[in-house]
Amino acid sequence: MLTPLLKKIHTSLDTLNQVVLGKEQQVQLAVACILSNGHLLIEDLPGMGKTTLAHALAKTLGLDYKRVQFTSDLLPADLIGTSVFDAQSSTFSFHRGPIFSAIFLADELNRATPKAQSALLEAMEEGQVSIDGETYSLPEPFFVIATQNPQTQSGTFPLPESQLDRFMFRISLGYPEPSIEREILKGDKGRAALDQVTQVLSRENLLTIQQLVPQIKVSDTLLDYVQRLIAQTRQDDLCHLGLSPRGALALLKSAQCWALLQGRGHVLPEDVQAVFVAVVGHRIIGKKETQGEQLARHVLQAVDVIGAGVH
Amino acid sequence: MFFKGFPQNNQITYAGMLWLLAAQLVVMAPLAFYLPVWLIPVLLLSAGWRIRVMKGHHEQPGNLIKIIISGLGVGALFLSGMELVSLDMIASLLMLGFSYKAIEIIQRRDGVVVILTGFILIAVLFLYSQTILTALYGVFALIVLSGAMIAIHQSSSHQIIKDLKLSSLMLMLCFPLMIVLFLFAPRLPPLWSVPVPGGSAKTGMSDMMSPGSITSLSQSDELAFNVKFLGARPKQTELYWYGIVLQHFDGNTWTQFAQQLDAKAVKSKLKTSQRQIHQRLFQQDGSKGVGLEYEVIYEKSGQPWLFALSPVVSIKGDAFFGNDFRIIANQDLLEPMLLSLVSYPQALRDVQLPTASRQLALQLPEQGNEQSRLLAQQLVATSTSKQDYIDNILKRYQQQAFYYTLRPPLMDQNNSIDDFLFNQKKGFCEHYAGSFVFMMRAAGIPARVIVGYQGGEWNNNGHFLSVRQYDAHAWAEVWLENRGWIRFDPTAMVAPERIEHNLQTAVDKEGSFLEAQTFSLSKNQWLISLRQRIDSTQYAWRRFVLGYDSDSQTQLLKRLFGDLSVQKIAFLVGGLFAAIILLWVVFLGLTKKHVSIAAEHRLYQHFCDFLEQQGISREPSQTPQALSQIAITKLPGLATEIKAFTRVYSALCYEPDQHHLHQQQINSLKKLLKKMQRQR
Repeated sequence: MLTPLLKKIHTSLDTLNQVVLGKEQQVQLAVACILSNGHLLIEDLPGMGKTTLAHALAKTLGLDYKRVQFTSDLLPADLIGTSVFDAQSSTFSFHRGPIFSAIFLADELNRATPKAQSALLEAMEEGQVSIDGETYSLPEPFFVIATQNPQTQSGTFPLPESQLDRFMFRISLGYPEPSIEREILKGDKGRAALDQVTQVLSRENLLTIQQLVPQIKVSDTLLDYVQRLIAQTRQDDLCHLGLSPRGALALLKSAQCWALLQGRGHVLPEDVQAVFVAVVGHRIIGKKETQGEQLARHVLQAVDVIGAGVH
Repeated sequence: MFFKGFPQNNQITYAGMLWLLAAQLVVMAPLAFYLPVWLIPVLLLSAGWRIRVMKGHHEQPGNLIKIIISGLGVGALFLSGMELVSLDMIASLLMLGFSYKAIEIIQRRDGVVVILTGFILIAVLFLYSQTILTALYGVFALIVLSGAMIAIHQSSSHQIIKDLKLSSLMLMLCFPLMIVLFLFAPRLPPLWSVPVPGGSAKTGMSDMMSPGSITSLSQSDELAFNVKFLGARPKQTELYWYGIVLQHFDGNTWTQFAQQLDAKAVKSKLKTSQRQIHQRLFQQDGSKGVGLEYEVIYEKSGQPWLFALSPVVSIKGDAFFGNDFRIIANQDLLEPMLLSLVSYPQALRDVQLPTASRQLALQLPEQGNEQSRLLAQQLVATSTSKQDYIDNILKRYQQQAFYYTLRPPLMDQNNSIDDFLFNQKKGFCEHYAGSFVFMMRAAGIPARVIVGYQGGEWNNNGHFLSVRQYDAHAWAEVWLENRGWIRFDPTAMVAPERIEHNLQTAVDKEGSFLEAQTFSLSKNQWLISLRQRIDSTQYAWRRFVLGYDSDSQTQLLKRLFGDLSVQKIAFLVGGLFAAIILLWVVFLGLTKKHVSIAAEHRLYQHFCDFLEQQGISREPSQTPQALSQIAITKLPGLATEIKAFTRVYSALCYEPDQHHLHQQQINSLKKLLKKMQRQR
């Protein structure tokens, strides 16, 4: 049962790599994020292929998706929907907004005002929205793939730490390799290939995988290592705010998912290391100039994989 | 010996060097009060030299230079005027070596040599001074030395406070052991005698009295002895601390005997037994009076003379009875001494006076002081009895214009008594006592001069009496039929304040009290209470720490545990040692289960060590898989073993299903490791 599923996942990874060239690691992270039932934040400069990746990801998973371009005049109702008066039946009926979809693409999330941002973030946390005293459940599964520009860019409203914490991963794509860039310039791959992306995984597949992830074995030795990493984020001289227990849970869960993607039944330190920067980078705050991913990498470097555990 | 790692790992760091220098300074500073002070610059120059070498400004000095400078140092010591075989010389040589060693501190073991020598020098310090301050300083020096010991064993920079904390903690752990050793270690007599410093310097009361000798003593506020009364304290006017009996007068100076004798001869001449003293004291019933029990701690004086309320009837301590009712120490007082005494001040002494003693007590020079002799004859003629004669003489001091002064004028050498009695009429206690005894003898009444101390200062904090050098006093004793030796103090006629209060009150108007010492604590009223507090601390230290000898030890053990046999003591001490060790074990956390590294991790550590030897070092964040890939490319010959080792280790650590294979896997790890080591 596992093998055909894995094959399907690898096919989808291959497809995605056709669209977003030369970013195998990031693509795999994005997929792992979705498979471990987390929301994904892609942060990069404009024009690096954030939206393309998000788009392709939604397509390959075969789920219905909606995309909203966030702007500073976006209102919560534009996302959630509004109650409209129906003259014929003389009642209000609720018109569902774009958020009622399995995959919701929030493009340039930090261009919107905090009000609109928090409407989305509430939906992410609760899995439901409330309007006019009525509660409407969001579909299952429900993912948010958000993209945002670096906070140094003009016209952005930075997300507060508490809201950043709700994204399981934050990844950034970065400039492509020169050879890859050449292929993009030639134009026969990349964005053009987006239209040819077809559905690889079904909704059922996705739910099966999500159930499989927690079954990946985690040994005591590995837990020791994870705990050492968490402790380091809280004690390191450079760290101001360490990893929260929610962050720690996300780290372990995504490491399990990563191990699953490798076709392994147990988690190795490599799996933790692979997802660590994406999980931790946006959740810890440094004391000095070392921040975000750089700080996460520093913590990773400082912690010994081999511990002196007691059994 | 084979050291793992690089040789420079055993070198002392710059910080360690500074630590050592500080420790050396702390050790040497107090000794500089007693030994040549130029040894400290020698230390500073040596350490400065070494530090410049460390910084690369100089070469390490060669053997020739070392021989020359050590020759210079030893030469300077010999020229410094110390006795060749003396504690001073030995200690100075040790200090010289200690200072020069600073040049040679390169390796850790050099530092250890310096620190151990420092411990010895702290012990040497106690040969020079045993005050409570010295003891506290000694503890401080121990902390610094132990801190330096910790510092030189570290190869990177670190915090001073942390080292000091650790060394203080270590010393605190030793504290119970110190107490046990102090209480129970046998107090053995010294096996050999170190020439103790200051032994030649005699202080305090001299065994002769000429005009001016006690006056000079009165200018010192040094402590003579402390007294603790076990019962009620006698009145201040009764506190005559009987010391030396002066029987012989040569016209100017009073001495103990006609011939000049050394202390040993004097002692053998005076020595008598307690039984004889009792016989001479308690001849008549009901003449005994009330007994006084007290403890005296005598300061070191370099002399055997002791001072007590006469007559003493019982001595506990290292002293004997003199046949003139004084007590004398068996050895010169080179260190403070504790005596427990019982006195009966009201007892009659020598109701019958032997002829030899009578002759001694009537001795006068053939000639001189004719005026006084004439006066004596006139007064004898007009007096009705001996008592009347004595009263007349005493009245004379009171009625005529005699002054009590700390600045007596110089008397005529040949007729000092005449000069004092008829011309100058100004004098200190020795003048009054001397002239009084002269007048008695001139009238045929046996009399003698007693020098000692009178009064003392009561310390309310410690409930003891401090007698200082300025309490020195001279008075007279006259022998009367049926009454024995009676004390007369002519000074009391002239200056009753001296006897009732103290010297300071008596010479208050003159302003001559301790005039050479402007800042003396005894002089400033407002500091007296502070001084009393310090005194009582020092008294306690003297009494209970320095005075803890084998007698006190036996008494204490008896009081605490009843009668003790050697076996019982051995069991007791053994038990206490065991208790202390147990305390350490608990304190150091040795009882807690030791956190052991799981076998597989230990084996992996060996594996990493093995790779390290092959030149492959592991980063902390490297996973086993990543390390094995690097190792395989560098050591292709061992590829199979490295891969297998990594696979088994990985399985052991990260695959929870494999627990049942645990031992098997550990064994295979061991085998693989051995195989790898064999192949290299």
